[in-house]
Amino acid sequence: MRKMNITLVIAVTVLSLFGLLMVYSSSYVWAEYKFDDAFKYVKNQGMFLILGLILMFAVSKVHFEKYYKYSNKIFLVCFILLVLVLFVGTERNGSKSWFGIGSFGIQPSEFMKLAMIIFTSKYLYNNRKDINNIKKGVIPILGLTLVVFALIMLQPDFGTGLILVMGIIGLLFVGGVDLKFFLKIGLVGVGGIVALIAAAPYRLKRILSFLNPWEDPLGSGFQIIQSLYAIGPGGLFGFGLGGSRQKHFYLPEPQTDFIFSIISEEFGFVGILIVASLFITIIALGIKIALKCENLFGKYLAFGIIFELGFQALLNLMVVVGLIPVTGVTLPFLSYGGSSLMITLMSIGIILNISRHQK
Amino acid sequence: MKVVLFGVIILFVVIIGKVFYIQVIDYDKLNKFASNLWSRNLPVKADRGIIYDRDGGILADNITTTSLVVIPNQIKDKDEVAKKLSSILHVSYKEIYRHITKRTSIERVHPEGRRLSYEVADKIRNLKLDGVYLVKESQRYYPFDTYMSHTLGYVGIDNQGLSGLELMYDKYLTGKDGAIKYYSDAKGNKLDLSEIYEKPQNGMNLTLTINKDIQASVERELDNAVTKYKPDMAIALVMDPNSGEILAMSSRPNFSSNNYQKYTTEEINRNLPIWATYEPGSTFKIITLAAALEEGKIDLEKDTYNDSGSIKVENANLHCWKHGGHGHETFLEVVENSCNPGFVVLGQKLGKAKLFDYIKKFGFGSKTGVDLNGESSGILFNLSKVGPVELATTAFGQGVSVTPIQQVTAVSAAINGGILYKPYIVKSINEPETNTVIKENKKTVVRKVISEETSKKVRYALESVVSNGTGRTAYIDGYRVGGKTGTAQKVKDGHYLDNNYILSFVGFLPADDPKVVVYFAIDNPKGVQQFGGVIAGPPAKAILTDSIKALNIAKPSGGMEKEYQYTDKKYKNVPDVVGLDKSEAVKKLKNFKVDVEGSGNSVAYQSPEAGSRIYEGETVRIFTN
Repeated sequence: MRKMNITLVIAVTVLSLFGLLMVYSSSYVWAEYKFDDAFKYVKNQGMFLILGLILMFAVSKVHFEKYYKYSNKIFLVCFILLVLVLFVGTERNGSKSWFGIGSFGIQPSEFMKLAMIIFTSKYLYNNRKDINNIKKGVIPILGLTLVVFALIMLQPDFGTGLILVMGIIGLLFVGGVDLKFFLKIGLVGVGGIVALIAAAPYRLKRILSFLNPWEDPLGSGFQIIQSLYAIGPGGLFGFGLGGSRQKHFYLPEPQTDFIFSIISEEFGFVGILIVASLFITIIALGIKIALKCENLFGKYLAFGIIFELGFQALLNLMVVVGLIPVTGVTLPFLSYGGSSLMITLMSIGIILNISRHQK
Repeated sequence: MKVVLFGVIILFVVIIGKVFYIQVIDYDKLNKFASNLWSRNLPVKADRGIIYDRDGGILADNITTTSLVVIPNQIKDKDEVAKKLSSILHVSYKEIYRHITKRTSIERVHPEGRRLSYEVADKIRNLKLDGVYLVKESQRYYPFDTYMSHTLGYVGIDNQGLSGLELMYDKYLTGKDGAIKYYSDAKGNKLDLSEIYEKPQNGMNLTLTINKDIQASVERELDNAVTKYKPDMAIALVMDPNSGEILAMSSRPNFSSNNYQKYTTEEINRNLPIWATYEPGSTFKIITLAAALEEGKIDLEKDTYNDSGSIKVENANLHCWKHGGHGHETFLEVVENSCNPGFVVLGQKLGKAKLFDYIKKFGFGSKTGVDLNGESSGILFNLSKVGPVELATTAFGQGVSVTPIQQVTAVSAAINGGILYKPYIVKSINEPETNTVIKENKKTVVRKVISEETSKKVRYALESVVSNGTGRTAYIDGYRVGGKTGTAQKVKDGHYLDNNYILSFVGFLPADDPKVVVYFAIDNPKGVQQFGGVIAGPPAKAILTDSIKALNIAKPSGGMEKEYQYTDKKYKNVPDVVGLDKSEAVKKLKNFKVDVEGSGNSVAYQSPEAGSRIYEGETVRIFTN
């Protein structure tokens, strides 16, 4: 056993602490307004961060092969929770994706993301001989993924669902599924989209509205315009910590999906470079650990986790800077969200454990 | 796997590139939009341009007032604020409450919160209420209140020009409002960020051709005329005949530019010196005279006419104003006597085409183009409809309709050497800070109407009108005054009104080299003999006298002595009695009343001093020791 990857620990901790700071900076105005308590969000986030870091170290001590053993149970528990949440969950921001415990909330879909990775890693490991047989190897796991996706879409939570599907597809690719298959699926997807657009051309306009948000500044373009108003004036060095104007009720819920805008506004281009390089560091280290892992299950697990994390970060950033339409994805480590942060840190814990079992 | 990592890095680069694009390429645009989004403006009103007379005296000024502005979102305890403000402003609680709960970023408490007195503003300031602001506003103020009110005009509550020069030059006079910009959150609360002050840009200043002293004289004489005669209207216009610059103009009824709301629109809107049209009467004879002289139809001294009291034209008998006529007279005497049949003859000598040609060339029948709103063009006979009677009456000023300013410009042309100038009142428009000239009006020649020689003859004839003829009431001893009286019967619905005249006088001085032309008209004076010379001559003379000092006009040489009638008082030279014995001095001052002061025997000092010219029988005071 080797020592765990200390660079990854530092990068993750720094990013999470910076996230905590930014959650405070971007949320205190709204928190004061809504709850008469400027520290409301940061206290929540702080508790989950401490819990998350403890869990990260705890999980890093657990041998990753244990997940192989318990993967079905984990998946089953998460699946039940995912079904249950549709009936007894609390609705927040229009989607029923939470189990409320006091003022805390737990999102089963976040747990499901990790559970699905574990389950798929095991599946790929067990079926490695059949993996090029589409019918026998790929369709079952892809079908299961779509069922889970459908459940999440019932909440609805498109962002989380999308991340989950993309993570699994990435993992299948790593697992050796023929690239042509993905191309075929991609073509079917594109064909479907074209058909939908042909049936109702307004959809195209809707989808492309992110390209020119000013066409509907109070509707579909509102969030992206407010985001650009934060990023643009930030300039090279930003207004400094706490200097954001957009967090003063202009940008709705700035501590969640659009926290990156507030970071740009307060720390400017320089701040963005630092945040981006921390993400690249984490992803690069994750991929390196996965590549070095001799255990195939561990390799899949590490890839799956890092793919989801990477996809989620990229998706969020591209939304915030206006490269793709708004999808409702949070930024890992930085956005406010207790269960998300906790799960992300636990996932890092798994990767840390994998890093200890390298040659 | 390197491909995946490479792909991830590429995507990050794209994202960073996009951020760079937003923060650098789009920076200006986004920053501007975002700034507008974040900032709220408390307006700071610009000063309106000042209107000066020709010597820099202020005719229209600004005074600073305070107005109440509220930002509803910043007012937390709306109930209490409404209570406090309503008690200070004496406005109902409901009304104030409506203002401070309005869903708007900035609400002006209008009109109750406008133009607050110092005490009220101070009381509000001392409350130190959140979201309640006092902003500076500039209010128009006319220091002379009713002076040339029609010409200056007035402004509305938002300082917008509504009439007169204020309207005509509104574009220049209006400044650009500034603002105090502060940052606010999306709910309208003020943020703790520094405020930006955007300086207001004051409006351009106007400098008029008006001479304040002559204007004061005009206003005084108009007031006197109103007191004395209670006329329907009174009009005065003073012009520099050598440029067309208006030196003074005003009329009655007038109004207060500061409180225009108290007057009827008729009183406010009619700038009579340029708007009123009426038959000029005998003052128009100057045009006929100038035309006849220019065309060489008569010799003033050699040609004669025998006035029997009336002249028959076609089937009409046109009477002279003097019953029984003026008898045998030279044409100079025809002018002096303002003899109507004599002018009919002049008109007949010219013929209708020539006479009307000159009338038009002197500017009648069309607007003079003065830089003021609301000018009329007057009415002339259509040439095809002019028969012998129309020709005859036009020659002595009946049957045409003209404005005062047309008359003054035409007379100016007749006496200044023959050049018709376009009248104007705005001398220049200046940028307020650097005083740079933005626009400058210079004298504009419309056309040459008569020759210098003819003009000289007209001056001579008109000087003799004042020295020997109907214009004697305007004679100023020692200064050569030329002029012409006018008595025009008013027309209503095509009929002449009985005993309802517009009496006018147009005069100028010095007669050899005119520097100023004065026109004075009184419409329907009550309880007096209706002759232009008697009624309109004296005020015109007073204005001419004041113009001498105001324009620093030197005493001319030569000139005609006034022909005295038994009713006229004579001027006498005051002899020098200083140093003489008291009794000797009294004897020497036999033509005057003598007022002796002191108990001495020899005269130490006299007033007025030796060489002064005063009326016979006036008082000379001597001091003895």
